[in-house]
Amino acid sequence: MISRPLTLSNRLGLHARAASKLVQTTARFDSEAWLSHGGKRVNAKSIMGVLLLGAPCGAELIAEFDGPDEDDALEAVKALVDERFGEEQ
Amino acid sequence: MSLALTGLGVTSGIAIGRVHRLTPGELSIPEYHLDDDAVGSELERLHKAFGRGEKFLAGLLARMSEEMTETGRDLLEAHRLILRDPMLIDGTAERIRRDRINAEWALVQQADQLQAEFRRMGDEYLALRHEDLEQAVGLVRRELAEQPALFVSTQVPHRLEDTIVVATELGPAEITVLAQRKVAGLITEHGGPWSHAAILARSLEIPMLVGVHHALNLLDESEGVILDGHYGAVLAGADEGLFSHYREKREASRRRRLDLRRYLGRASLTRDGQAFTLLGNADLLPDFERCREVGVEAVGLMRTEYLYLDDALPDEDTQYRAYRAAIEAMQGRPITIRTLDAGGDKLPAMLGFTKGPNPALGLRGLRLSLSLSELFVQQIRAILRASVHGPVEILLPMLTRADEIVQARKVIERCRDELRSEGVAVDPELPVGGMIETPAAALDVDQLAGPLDFLSIGTNDLIQYVLAIDRSDELVNYLYDPTHPAVLFLLQRIQQAGARHNCPVTVCGELAGDERTARLLLGLGLNRLSMPPSVLPGIKKSLLEASAADCRRIVQAWLDDPADATGQELLERLSPE
Repeated sequence: MISRPLTLSNRLGLHARAASKLVQTTARFDSEAWLSHGGKRVNAKSIMGVLLLGAPCGAELIAEFDGPDEDDALEAVKALVDERFGEEQ
Repeated sequence: MSLALTGLGVTSGIAIGRVHRLTPGELSIPEYHLDDDAVGSELERLHKAFGRGEKFLAGLLARMSEEMTETGRDLLEAHRLILRDPMLIDGTAERIRRDRINAEWALVQQADQLQAEFRRMGDEYLALRHEDLEQAVGLVRRELAEQPALFVSTQVPHRLEDTIVVATELGPAEITVLAQRKVAGLITEHGGPWSHAAILARSLEIPMLVGVHHALNLLDESEGVILDGHYGAVLAGADEGLFSHYREKREASRRRRLDLRRYLGRASLTRDGQAFTLLGNADLLPDFERCREVGVEAVGLMRTEYLYLDDALPDEDTQYRAYRAAIEAMQGRPITIRTLDAGGDKLPAMLGFTKGPNPALGLRGLRLSLSLSELFVQQIRAILRASVHGPVEILLPMLTRADEIVQARKVIERCRDELRSEGVAVDPELPVGGMIETPAAALDVDQLAGPLDFLSIGTNDLIQYVLAIDRSDELVNYLYDPTHPAVLFLLQRIQQAGARHNCPVTVCGELAGDERTARLLLGLGLNRLSMPPSVLPGIKKSLLEASAADCRRIVQAWLDDPADATGQELLERLSPE
C-alpha cells in the first residue's frame, strides 16, 4: 500500500469531466484506489464517490493505492493531476 | 343468483376458487422481500442487469461515436461510468443482502441515497447531474424488467392456491409470477387461445379462460367461482351441490392422472402386438420437459408461432437459442420444428399487413414464408444452426402444391450452402416433411409425398377445410364431425400414400390427442400420433388395451357402408368396453 498527497491545480477542481478521467484511469489498474479530502475517503474507482469529494481547485488530496500495480497506478493518477486533466488553463 | 359467463377454454382443466381481480400495475410494482435462499440469485440478477446495461452503452458508443458530438459522447461515457460505479453496485447489493429486498427496490433506495448526498453537497458545479444518475439507473431498471425475477410479490395475496385471477389481459411475465404462486385458474376479458399468455398457461397446465367479456364487472372480489375449461364457462353464485360436483370431478381427474402414470413405462404395443408411436406437441420449454417426463419418442410438432408474438420479429440468434434449448431439453430425442404457421386465427401483430379478406384462405403458413423470404431464411438458418445439437426435422405447414415444397427446399439448400461457406456446421441429412391439412394436399398426396421425407396430418385444419366450417363459429360448429366419411376417406388415402412412398405419416391434430378418436386413427392404420404431453398417458392406456386388428375391421366395415351406422356409433364401437 502506498499513499501520496496530490494538489489539484486545474481551474475547475474535480468536476464531472475531470472525475470521469480520473475514474477511467484508476479503473485500468487492478489495485484498489482511494481518495481522501476534507475528512471524506472514497473509492477512486467510483465516479460518484469522486464527485462527492467535492474537491475544488487548490484542494489537497491523499491518494492511496493497494495492489500489485500500485506504483504504476499512482504514477498514472499523478500524471493526470499534474497535467491538469488536460484542461486548458 | 347464479351466473354463467362464457369464453374460450385454453385447457380443459377445472379450477375452483375465489375471485381476485387484478388491478393494472398490481404486478408491475416490484417491491418485495426475498426468501433467504433467493438472495444469491437476486444478486446475480442485479449484476447481470448492470453488465447488460453497460454493454448496451458500450455498443452504442462504438456504433455512434462518429455521428455524435463530444458532449453526447461524454454523456454516454458518464452513464457508463455510473453503471460501473462500485458505490452504486456494491451499495445496492449490500441492501439486497442486508434487507432481503428485491433488486429493483434496492436499486431505487441506493440511487435515492446517492441523490440525497449530492443535494447536500450544494455545489452544483461539482455535483453529479441529477438526470445522469436517473437515466443510468433507468437503464438498469429496464434490464431488470427484461429478466423478471421469479419473484414473490407482496402485492397480490401470497397464497394463490384457491384463487382465480381475473384480469383484462395478462402478459407472459405476469403468468409466470402467478404460476409460481400456484394460482388456481386465470380468466381474461381479452386475448385469444393462441396468445402468448394462453400458450404459456397451456404449457404450465393452468386452467384458463380467455375472451370472457366484462368479467371484471360481472365477478365480485372474493366471490367463489368454478372455472370449467372444457365448456369454456365461469360459474358464479353456484350452489353447494354444483361446487361439490366440480370438486369431485376435479379430484377424479387428479386420481386418474396419477393412475395413468403406471402405463408410461410400458412398451407401446397394442393388445394384439401392433407397435404404435406416441409423440409430443410442444411450444415452450416446460412442454419439452413434460414430453420427456411422459416418455415421448420424439416431439412430433414444435410450433414456432409464439416466437413471433412480441412487438418485434425474432432475429436469427433469438430463434437459434430457442431451438437449441428445445433440442437440448429432449436429450437426443428428435424434434420436428414446424416453420412459422402464421395466419388464420394466429397472426402475429407484426404481420398484420398480410391479412387478406378471408384469412383462412389467405396468405398463411408456408405461403406467407415464401412471400416474405427474408423471414423464412432467418428461421431456416436458425433451425439449421441448431440442428448440430441434436436430431431435428423441418415441417412445412399449409401446402397445396408440390412446387411449394420444391421452392422451400431450394431455400433450405441455399441456407445450408451459405452456412457451410460461413464455416458453420449443419446437419447434412435434415429431413423435410409437410403438413397435409388442405383438401388439395390430401387429394394430391401422391404428388406431395414425392419430394417429402415425411407427412404430418393436421386434422384440425383438414376437417375445417373439408367440411367448410369454422369451428369457432357457433352457428355452424355443430357440423364439425371428425367421423364424416369425407374426412375418413382422406385420412385413409394419406395413410396409404405414405405407405406407398415409404414416407412416415404422423397425425398431430386434436384427433390424435382425443381418446375417442385415437382408436379411430389406429383403425385407419395411422399409428404415429403426436399430442400435448398432458393427454398422452390416457391415449397410451387406450391404445395398449386396444386390438389393432379389431379397430381396422370396425373402421373398414364402416367405410364400406357408412350408412350402416352414425359416426357416433362408430366411435362407440371402437371405445373400450
